[in-house]
Amino acid sequence: MRQLSKSTKTVGLLMAVLLVLSACADNGGNKKEKTAAGNEASASPSASTQAPSATAVQGGDLTFALASSPDSLDPQRSNLAVASRVYSSIFDNLVARDTDNKIKPWLATEWTVSDDGLSYTFKLRQDVKFQDGTPFNAEAVKYTYDRILDPTTKATNSVPLIAPYQSSEIIDEYTIKLNLETASQAFLGNLSESPLAIVSPTAVKKYGEQFGKNPVGTGPFKFVNWEENAEIKVERNSDYRWGPDTVDNKEAPYLDSIVFKIIPEEATRIGSIQSKQVLAVESVPPQNIVSLQSDPAYQVLQVNTNGHPYSLLINQKKAPWNELKARQALQYGIDVGTIVKTLYLGTYEQAWSAITPGIFGYDTSLENSILPDQEKAGKLLDELGWVPGKDGIREKDGKKLTLHYVDSSPNRDKRNDIAVIIQQQLKKIGIQVNVELTQDVLTKVFKNDDFDIFGNSQVNSDPNLLYPFFHTAPEGALTNNIVHVSDPQVDQWLEQGVVERDEAKRAELYKNVQQYVKNNAVIIPVYVSRYSVVAAKSVQGLKFDHSGYPLFNDVSIHK
Amino acid sequence: MVGAVIGRMFTSLLVVAGSSVLVFVILYLLPGDPVNSLLDPTFATSEQIASLRHQLGVDQPLHVQLADYFGKLLHGDFGNSLLNSEPVLPRILSQFPATLALAAASAVVAVVIGVLLGVLSAIHRNKPIDVIARIVGLLGISMPAFWSGILLLLVFSIHLGWLPTMGSNGWKTLVLPSITLGLIGAGFLVRMIRNSMLEVVNEHFIVTLRSKGLSERSIMYRHALRNALIPAVTMIGMLVGEMLAGAVVIETVFARQGIGRIIADAIMAKDLPVVQGVIFFSAIIYVSVNLIVDISYSFIDPRVRRAT
Repeated sequence: MRQLSKSTKTVGLLMAVLLVLSACADNGGNKKEKTAAGNEASASPSASTQAPSATAVQGGDLTFALASSPDSLDPQRSNLAVASRVYSSIFDNLVARDTDNKIKPWLATEWTVSDDGLSYTFKLRQDVKFQDGTPFNAEAVKYTYDRILDPTTKATNSVPLIAPYQSSEIIDEYTIKLNLETASQAFLGNLSESPLAIVSPTAVKKYGEQFGKNPVGTGPFKFVNWEENAEIKVERNSDYRWGPDTVDNKEAPYLDSIVFKIIPEEATRIGSIQSKQVLAVESVPPQNIVSLQSDPAYQVLQVNTNGHPYSLLINQKKAPWNELKARQALQYGIDVGTIVKTLYLGTYEQAWSAITPGIFGYDTSLENSILPDQEKAGKLLDELGWVPGKDGIREKDGKKLTLHYVDSSPNRDKRNDIAVIIQQQLKKIGIQVNVELTQDVLTKVFKNDDFDIFGNSQVNSDPNLLYPFFHTAPEGALTNNIVHVSDPQVDQWLEQGVVERDEAKRAELYKNVQQYVKNNAVIIPVYVSRYSVVAAKSVQGLKFDHSGYPLFNDVSIHK
Repeated sequence: MVGAVIGRMFTSLLVVAGSSVLVFVILYLLPGDPVNSLLDPTFATSEQIASLRHQLGVDQPLHVQLADYFGKLLHGDFGNSLLNSEPVLPRILSQFPATLALAAASAVVAVVIGVLLGVLSAIHRNKPIDVIARIVGLLGISMPAFWSGILLLLVFSIHLGWLPTMGSNGWKTLVLPSITLGLIGAGFLVRMIRNSMLEVVNEHFIVTLRSKGLSERSIMYRHALRNALIPAVTMIGMLVGEMLAGAVVIETVFARQGIGRIIADAIMAKDLPVVQGVIFFSAIIYVSVNLIVDISYSFIDPRVRRAT
């Protein structure tokens, strides 16, 4: 019997150790990102992209580990960023956006815009053909864009991107005129977004619903096969010689093939590059970036995600947050800098405005313009008559000062942890934060308006993204303006921003909006997320496009 | 006998149908809109959302969706994925061999380790081997597979470099996943066999055998083990359920193909027809295996046959 109790003790001790260990273990879940139109994907190549290699080596196969499985490789129907990272190598667009937000030729060589801004006429390259031999021409462009508007296509996020496109007129085989419903300065740039890539009409007709599993475009790589939950393989398109200005190698790529391995579990993904089973891995968490950065065998490539940075949106329909001073108290009471440093270990930048630095018209003067100041925050609340009660939480007319913080579940990008830190920070200035996690943000936040503060981000490439967030929305409609800002001056700036063709004036308009958002404490910007790739040192020439998707044209593998 | 088998088959059918309806209703009641994962609410207009909901049929009331789904199911149509319109059944069938390979390999691991340690620990009760066996049993049951899997990966793939971290091609990719999953089954089996061995050993017929002068080895392996294994056979049916559930985690951790991966992805994307399809498919397998186990039970143990 004594022996028995001894073994029980041993087992107990072991279990305790294991429990502690497992608590420390990684929480790698299935984080899903969304594309261009969705959350988290676009980026500016301004970050640490690689310098082109002096001498590229011909041949070689790149293995690239993805964090999740693409839904479809049909640019118009897919809605996941991970799919764009794969299909961008198979497809080309009419135009390309460079680092400085300039729109460059790609499949279109030149274009003109009508005076009223309602039609764009493109001259197309004449030496391009699709990977299935179909010639690329005005017909293919018309087919692609009309396909997006056709409801039977079930196009998802490409639909809002192509707005306000109405119709196409084929002028001749290599000239096409696109007609818009209303003028839009964002339109041309949007044509560079991967969901608006040109597809082969023959292949779409041939494969129908299955085009997403048999993609055919004009891009530098040809689709080979897709083994579900295992890998997607693409190979060199040897006919390719129409690369855009955003890459150095305009000809066929150096690589023979790329194999995208689908490895959802974080630890396994990182382990696969450490054990040399793949040459590059995406979506590397901050703690691994920090450790791999110091390892000479690897290089860490990062690119900012462009659009609306992750920000806390304050609902101005809910008292007391309808009052400027109350919102300013949040602005001063929340120490964003500390949050970003603590959770992302320097791998993400703090956000300062309603748009990310890579977006046209970004107002740099907003950086460091508001610094945490708890005393000031407390004073602002005092002025509103909210005085600390016995438990430290402020009260007014017998009502406690609470903040209903809604965040989405599962915990993406440690956003739920942000809520927890803010809960502690605001407690210090006497605000009780009630955090609610929901899987159904659409109903809770967008339909029922049941929140005081809600965190959100959006991927985009044009400052016009501010329009749906801050332009007066029609009463009762499902809208992005969940903060309920309604100011004729802001409306006017945003309306003019859509059509203003003078770049300096357009930038000024958007700077006004950004200033307004800060001065009125409409939102609290938190972080600009980054897409990160860790690659073996032998992989050279890997770059990212403006949306943050990898460009494989210049990649070569050195022994 | 035949009547009993037919009766069992009928109840099995009811279980499959019942579980599918239940799952359908639960999925329907869960918060969240599948359209959410297709269209970003911060980007799409309400008209777009409404029209997509209509196209997908998710705007219909529960009973209409339910009738529609089961009507098609009777014709062998598992429906199409909401995400990419792909038919569900071919997808499941194409991925199932990988899950089957994993389950089979894990079952071998579970049975070999489980039976061996179970018997040894009962024979050498309270000796070191018994302690080890019980620790293995406890760990197998209580260690979460995602954790033990990653631990094995760290040691055998990353540090030692002996085995691949991921994939489902070749026997090498099967080793770590099947050990991870097999250990869970082994944990159950060790405890079960140990207990039933100890029970059998105390029965009168063992005393009779001893008094007849049979060797201890012969008593244990020829008489006691055979009787102790009977309840373990029932365990195999339950283990299949364990394997199917474990596959969801294991296939994700080791980036293997399989129906576990399909359902994990589908749950994240709220792709209800796919979730429903995999659950229905798994239910059929689980129920069929248990049916076979139940029937075979009466062949293994004559007492059961006489009773029915």
